[in-house]
Amino acid sequence: MRTIFLTLLIGILALGCELFDPTEVSNPNITEDTYLGSFNPGEKWLLGTDRQMATTIGTMVEFGELTSDNYFNNRTLSSKVFDIPQIDFIDIDVRRLQDEIHTLREMAIFGLTELVPNDPLVTDNMQAEWHFYLGMSHLFSGEYFIGLPAEPGREVLSSNENLERAIEEFEVALDLSDDSEAEVGYRLAIARAYYHLGDAANARNFAEQVIASNNLFLRFAQYDGIEGFNNPMQFLLFESSNDEFAPLPRLDFLDPKYFSQTTASLDQRPIYYLKAEEAYFILAEIELGAGQVSNARETLKDLVEDVIDQRPVELLDDSRELRGGGNRDDYPLAGSYRVRFDADDSLRSGFVVDRQAGAINAYPVSGTSMTTAILDQITTEDQMLEILYQMRQEVFIAEGRRVTDLGIKYQVHEDEFTSNPNVTEAHLESQIPAFIPRETRMDDFVNNEGDEVVTMVVNMNKILVQHKSSDLVLPFH
Amino acid sequence: MRKVNIYFYVIGFLLFFHQGIAQNVSISGQITDAISGEALPGAIIRTSDGAQGSVADLEGNFTIMLLPGAYVLEVSFIGHKHQIVPIEVNGAVQGLNVALEEDVLGLEELVITGQGINTEKRRLSTTVETISAKEIESVPVGRIDQLLQSRIPNLQTRLASGQPGATSITRSRGVVSALVNSTPIIYIDGVRVDNLNTTGALSISTRSSANGGQTQSTATSALAERPVENIERIECVTGGAATTLYGSDAANGVIQIFTKKGGTGRTNAFVEVQLGVDVPTKDFLFFDRTADLLHQNGFRQLYRVGVNGGDNKNGYSITGSMAHNEGINIHDQNENRTYNIRTGFRSQLSDKFSYNGSFGFVHNTFSRTRDGNDGGYVGLWFSEAGASLFTPNSGFWETNNLNELSSQEFDRMREWVSTAERLQDFQTTVRRFQMSNNLQYQPTKSLSARATVGIDYRVQNETGIFTNEYLIHTGEQPEGTDDQGSISNFERKFLGLTLELAAQHQAEVGDFSFVSTMGGQLFRNEDDQIFYRGENVQEGSGTVSDAAVTTSDDFALEIANYGIYLQENIGFMSKYFLEFGIRGDQNSAFGDDIGIQWYPKVGGSYILSDEPFFANLIPENIVSYFKLRGNLGFAGNLPQPFSQERTVQFNGFLGEQSATFGQPGNEDLTAERSRTFEIGADIGLVGERITLGVNYYNTRTQDALFFVRSLPSAGETQTQVRNVGEIENKGLEVFSTIILVQNQTWDLRVNFAVNTLENKVLDAGGSPAFPINGFSGRTIQTVVEEGQPVGFLRGNKGTFGENGVLQETEAQSFLGSTIPDFFGNVGLNLRWKSLNLFANADYQQGAFAHSFDRQFRFFYGVDNEGIPQAEIDARGRDNWLNFTDQFVEETDFFRVRQIGLTYDFSQEMLGDLFRGITLGFTVFNPINISSSSFDPEATQSGGLQGQNTATTGGISYGTASAPRQYISTIKFRF
Repeated sequence: MRTIFLTLLIGILALGCELFDPTEVSNPNITEDTYLGSFNPGEKWLLGTDRQMATTIGTMVEFGELTSDNYFNNRTLSSKVFDIPQIDFIDIDVRRLQDEIHTLREMAIFGLTELVPNDPLVTDNMQAEWHFYLGMSHLFSGEYFIGLPAEPGREVLSSNENLERAIEEFEVALDLSDDSEAEVGYRLAIARAYYHLGDAANARNFAEQVIASNNLFLRFAQYDGIEGFNNPMQFLLFESSNDEFAPLPRLDFLDPKYFSQTTASLDQRPIYYLKAEEAYFILAEIELGAGQVSNARETLKDLVEDVIDQRPVELLDDSRELRGGGNRDDYPLAGSYRVRFDADDSLRSGFVVDRQAGAINAYPVSGTSMTTAILDQITTEDQMLEILYQMRQEVFIAEGRRVTDLGIKYQVHEDEFTSNPNVTEAHLESQIPAFIPRETRMDDFVNNEGDEVVTMVVNMNKILVQHKSSDLVLPFH
Repeated sequence: MRKVNIYFYVIGFLLFFHQGIAQNVSISGQITDAISGEALPGAIIRTSDGAQGSVADLEGNFTIMLLPGAYVLEVSFIGHKHQIVPIEVNGAVQGLNVALEEDVLGLEELVITGQGINTEKRRLSTTVETISAKEIESVPVGRIDQLLQSRIPNLQTRLASGQPGATSITRSRGVVSALVNSTPIIYIDGVRVDNLNTTGALSISTRSSANGGQTQSTATSALAERPVENIERIECVTGGAATTLYGSDAANGVIQIFTKKGGTGRTNAFVEVQLGVDVPTKDFLFFDRTADLLHQNGFRQLYRVGVNGGDNKNGYSITGSMAHNEGINIHDQNENRTYNIRTGFRSQLSDKFSYNGSFGFVHNTFSRTRDGNDGGYVGLWFSEAGASLFTPNSGFWETNNLNELSSQEFDRMREWVSTAERLQDFQTTVRRFQMSNNLQYQPTKSLSARATVGIDYRVQNETGIFTNEYLIHTGEQPEGTDDQGSISNFERKFLGLTLELAAQHQAEVGDFSFVSTMGGQLFRNEDDQIFYRGENVQEGSGTVSDAAVTTSDDFALEIANYGIYLQENIGFMSKYFLEFGIRGDQNSAFGDDIGIQWYPKVGGSYILSDEPFFANLIPENIVSYFKLRGNLGFAGNLPQPFSQERTVQFNGFLGEQSATFGQPGNEDLTAERSRTFEIGADIGLVGERITLGVNYYNTRTQDALFFVRSLPSAGETQTQVRNVGEIENKGLEVFSTIILVQNQTWDLRVNFAVNTLENKVLDAGGSPAFPINGFSGRTIQTVVEEGQPVGFLRGNKGTFGENGVLQETEAQSFLGSTIPDFFGNVGLNLRWKSLNLFANADYQQGAFAHSFDRQFRFFYGVDNEGIPQAEIDARGRDNWLNFTDQFVEETDFFRVRQIGLTYDFSQEMLGDLFRGITLGFTVFNPINISSSSFDPEATQSGGLQGQNTATTGGISYGTASAPRQYISTIKFRF
C-alpha cells in the first residue's frame, strides 16, 4: 500500500512539474524558418520591399539634396559635410546610403530566391515587382555611386555596369508583368537608365512609350505616420519646428514639397521616384543634343501644359517657417524679394514666398517657375539646355535627383573596403567634378536687405551648360 | 580547522541549537566592546558543541541555562574576534562579563557571497568588502548605488544626473565589456534583483519632435529606489574568482544585501524622522543666474518606523517609511515621493530546519524636467549653452549672455522660463515587490543545506505630456495651435525569479580542514515593455483614450539561466589554504551550437604570520598578520536574450504587415568570459592598528561581445552580436584603515583606497568602431575601437595656425579616455564618547570629458571658450564643430560625498521612556573640487547600443549636478 501511494505521489509531482518549467523561454520574435513556413509570406515580403524602397529613397533624398545646391543644412541634424560638398569614405552617411541600396537589392533577391519557391501564392506580377526593385537597386547604384558590389563581398560593378544590370532586370519585369500601369513605370525606369548611359535611341524609344501610355504617370514610395514610418524629408522640411533644411532662395517657392495638413501621423506625403515628367526631359535633352532647339522647346512646353500644370497645387499654412535653423539667419522671407541666379543675372520676382502673409501654394508633385511664354523666348541651344536643367531642378526638387545631374557620385565605404578584397583604393574616391564649387558656395547667396535682392553666388545650371562636354554630366552632350 | 564562529548572521547561528535546554542553572552577564565598553546587542554566546546558546539583548545582557559541569563557551559578534571562555558550572553565575576585541581585518567573518553557503574570510584567496548596518544607518540616502559611493575600495559610482531616478555609472575594476553595462549584479537575501542601469529598449523620450531618446538625456535606473529598508549588511565582490560561482553574468562583480530578520530580546521599536533641504550647487554653472532661473531649495522629509524582536527560535523585523523631497527644480519639477515597507522573519522550525524570509514593497513617484539632448526648450541648454538665442524665437531676448541682461529683461526671462518649466509634465512611478524565502536544513553540525526561492517584481511607468500651451509657449508651435498636444507612456515590467539549492560539508582530518560546497542555481528574468502614445490630445487630458491618433509599441525579453557549482576549500594547519571551484551554466540566450559553459577557478592563500619564523623575524607588535593570496578565475557577461536567432522583422505598414530582414543570427553566441588573475596580500600592522590590503589584477575578457556589422553589400539591416573581441583591464589596488587613536573615550581612524586602472580593447574582432554615448560622428561620441580604452572620446581635432586661425581638422580623432587611470576614496571616522563624526570622499585622475554646453556657448556667441579671436574674426563661428577637442577637459576631481555627525543618548540619560535616541546631521556633496570647468559626473546616460549596454559617461550636456543635501535625523528607540 505504501509503495502504491509513494508511486502515486511521485506521479502527481511529475505531473505538477509539467506545469512549471522555469527554463523555458518564449521568443516573441519570428525566426526565418517559421516565417517561410507561414501562410502567404510573399505578400508581406513584397510590402516589406515596398517599404524598403521608401527607406532607400528617403535616405537618398535627404543626403542627395544636401550634397547638391538644392538645400542647405541650416541646423545640426543630418550631414554636416555634404553641403560643402565633402564626401569621405569613412562617413557613416556614405555607408547609410549604400546600406539602403544593398538592402533593397537583397530583399528583392530574397523574394525571388526564397519566397517564389516557398509560397505558391506568389504571382508573376509580384515576381515582376521584385525584378523591378532589383533593377532599381542597380539603377540607384549606377546613378549615385562610382561603383558598388552587386553581391555580398563580391566585385565592384562600375556605374555603367550597374545601369546595364538595372535594364536587364526591368526587361524581365516587363516580360513577367501583365499590369499595364506598373509596366509604364518599368519602361520609364529603362528610359532613365539609358539616359544615364547616354543611349539616346533606346532612351527616346522608352520615353515615348511612357508618354503614349500615361503622360501623367507617377510611381511613388509611401510612408505611414501612424506606424511612425515617416518621410524623413517631410520632417526636415516641414514638421521639425527647428527649420532644419533651407532651400536655395531661388527655389524657395517650391518648398516644402512634403508637408502635413493635419498631423504628421495622419498625413505623410509620398516621395515620387518615377514621374512622367522625366520622359519629356529625356526627349527634350536628346533633341537639344541633336541641335533641335525648337523641338525641345515644344517638348518642354508640352511638359508644362500637359503635365506640370495638371499636377496638384495645395494651399498650405507655412507661417511657422522662418528659416531660423541657426547656421544662417539671413534667408529672405518677404515676398517682395527679387532674386538673381548669379551676380550677372537680371532681377526676377516670384521666387521668394511670404509665408506670413497667408496660405501659400505648395507643389507636392511638381512645380516650376517656367512658363510657355518664357520658353517661347529662348532661342539658343545653351539657353534651352540651361532652362531644361533649371526645370529638372525645380520639378525634381526634394526628390534626390539633382546630385546626379551635377555629376556627383559617392564612393564605396570603408567598411566594405576593409572586409571585401575586391574593393580597391580607387573605389574609395568620390566623384565631384572639378567645376563644382566647394566651401558650400553652391548653397551660398548674398542678401541685400536694403534693396530686398538676394543673389546666388553661383548658378549651377549655367555652370553645367558651360561644362556640357564633360563626361560626368549632360549625357547627350 | 578552527571552529566555525557564527556571529554575523543570527539565523545561521540558530541552526546549531538543540531544543532541549537545561533548566538547572542560569549563567548571565554582559558582552561589551573591549575598547569602548559599548554593549554589543546581538552578540552570541554558546557552548562549544553548539547545544546551548543565547543572544545578547539591547544592553548586551545574556542569560544561558546550563546543567552543572565544565563547559567551553564561545562568545562572538560581528566585527569582533571571538573569545573562548572556559567555565565550571556548579551553581548560578552572575556577572560573567565578556569584552570582545574588534576584528579589524575581518578574518573571522563568514562570507556568503560567492561561496555557496559560507566560508570564513580567513580561508579565502579573494577579497570581499562589507558594509555594516551601523555604517548603512548613518547614511540617510535613498539609493543603493549612492550608499556604496566611497565605501567600497575598488568600486566607482557616479550618479549621471541630479534628477531623481537617474542612472549611475557603477563599475569595479574597470570596464570588462564593450557591450554589457558595467553595473554589478545585485542579490537581496539570495535573490537576484533587477539591476538595469540604462534606459529600456523602449522609453518615453522627453523629446517632442525628434527621437534622441534617453541615452542622450537622463534615463531611469532600477537602482534608484532603495529596494530595502532594513539592511543588516552588504557584501561586495568584484569579478574573477570571487564571482566564479555566479557564472555567466558575474564578471562585473556581485553586490549582495542581507536584511534584518529579527531583533534581540524583547520587542524593540523605533521612530525616525529626517528633515533636510536639497540645495542646488552653483559649483559648475557658467551663469549664476541659471540657478535663479531654474533652481530652488527643496525641502525633504522622511518618517520611518520599525519594530523588531525575537528570541532564540523566532524573530521578526518590520520597517516602514514615507519620504518626500521637493527637489531642486522650480515648481517642484524634481519632486520625489517614496513609500516603503519591509518585513523580515526567522524561525527555527525544528532542531534541523529553520526558515527565514523577507518581503518588501516600495512605491516611488518622481517628476523630471527636460535635459540633455531632449531638443526644443531645455532649461539648462537654454541658459547655460546660450540656446535662448532662438528660444522661443530669434531676437526674443536682448542677448543670450545672461550676465549682460538688464534686470528688467532678466525678470522677463525668469517669468518666461518659469512658465516653460511649469508646463512640463514628466512623471515616473515605480512599484516594486520583493520576496526571499530561505529554508535551511542542518542534520549535523558539519553538514548544512539551504534552499532559496524568491522574486523581484518591478513595474516602472513613465508618462510625458506635451500640451499645446507648452508647445506654443516654447515656440515649437504657432499661436492658436490646438491639435499638437501629445501623451507618451512607457511601462516596463520586470520579473526575476531565483531558485537555489546549496549544500556544504565541513570536515577536519588531522591538520587538514575541508569546506566542500555544491549547489545549483536557476534564475529567469522576464522583461516586458510597452509604449503607447496619443497625439492631438484634448488639453488637460491625461489619457490617450482622448487622442485623435494613438500609436503603440512593445518589447519583451525572457532569459533563463541554470547552472551547477562545486567548490572545495582545503586548509592545512590553518595557514595554508587551497580553493578550487567550477560553475557550469546553460542559458537560453546561447546559440544552438553552444553547450554548457564552464567557469573554473583556483586560488591559494598562505598566512605567513602564523609561521614561527615570521614572528621571530618581525615582532608581532610590528606585523601581526600577513597573508599572501593569489587566484585565477573566470566569470561571464551574458548576451541579450534572443540575440542569437536569425529573425524576420515585421512592421505595420499601410494597414498591413510588412516583412523584412531581422537579426542575422549567430548559432555560436555565448557569454563573454572574463579571466582574472589576481595576487595580493592582507597585512595587519602595529597590533592591527593599521590594516593594509594590496592587489594586482589582470582581467582579460575573451570572446568579448561586439556588434559586428556585416559588409554593407550584405544588405543586412541589423548588426549581429558575436563573441569576437578581447578587452583587458589591469591595475593595482591598495586599501588601508589606520586607527590613530583608540580608547574608551576616543576612536579616530582613517581609511583610504588607491586604484590604478589600464583599460584597452585589445581586439575588436574586425568590428568597426561604434559609439556607446553621444551624437553623430561629426560632433562628439564615446567610442569603442580596437587599441583604445572602452568609451574614449572621439571627435574633430582642430589645429590652429600661428595666426590663430583653424588650419586643419582631423576627423574622428582620439580626444581622451573617459575611464580614469587612477581613482579611489578616503574616509575619516572619529568617535568621542557617543559623538561620531564621519566623512568620506572619492577622487579620480586621468579621465576626460566633453562639454557640449561649452561648445554651444561658443557657437551661440555667449563666450569665446578659449577659441582664438583670430579664428572668430576670420570665419565667425562656422567652424564650431571642427575643433571639438577644444571643449574636452581633463576631469580630475576630489569630491567629498558626505560629512556626518551623530550623537547617541543612552538610556541612562533618557530614563525609562526611551531606550535610546540618536541625533544626526549629514551633508552630502559638500565639496566639489574638479579640474574641469563643468561637472565631470553629470553626463548623458549613454548606452547607445541598447538596453543594459555599456556606457562610460563622458559627455556633459544640459545635465543637472547632484545637489548638496543637508539632512538632520532624529531616531527614537523604545
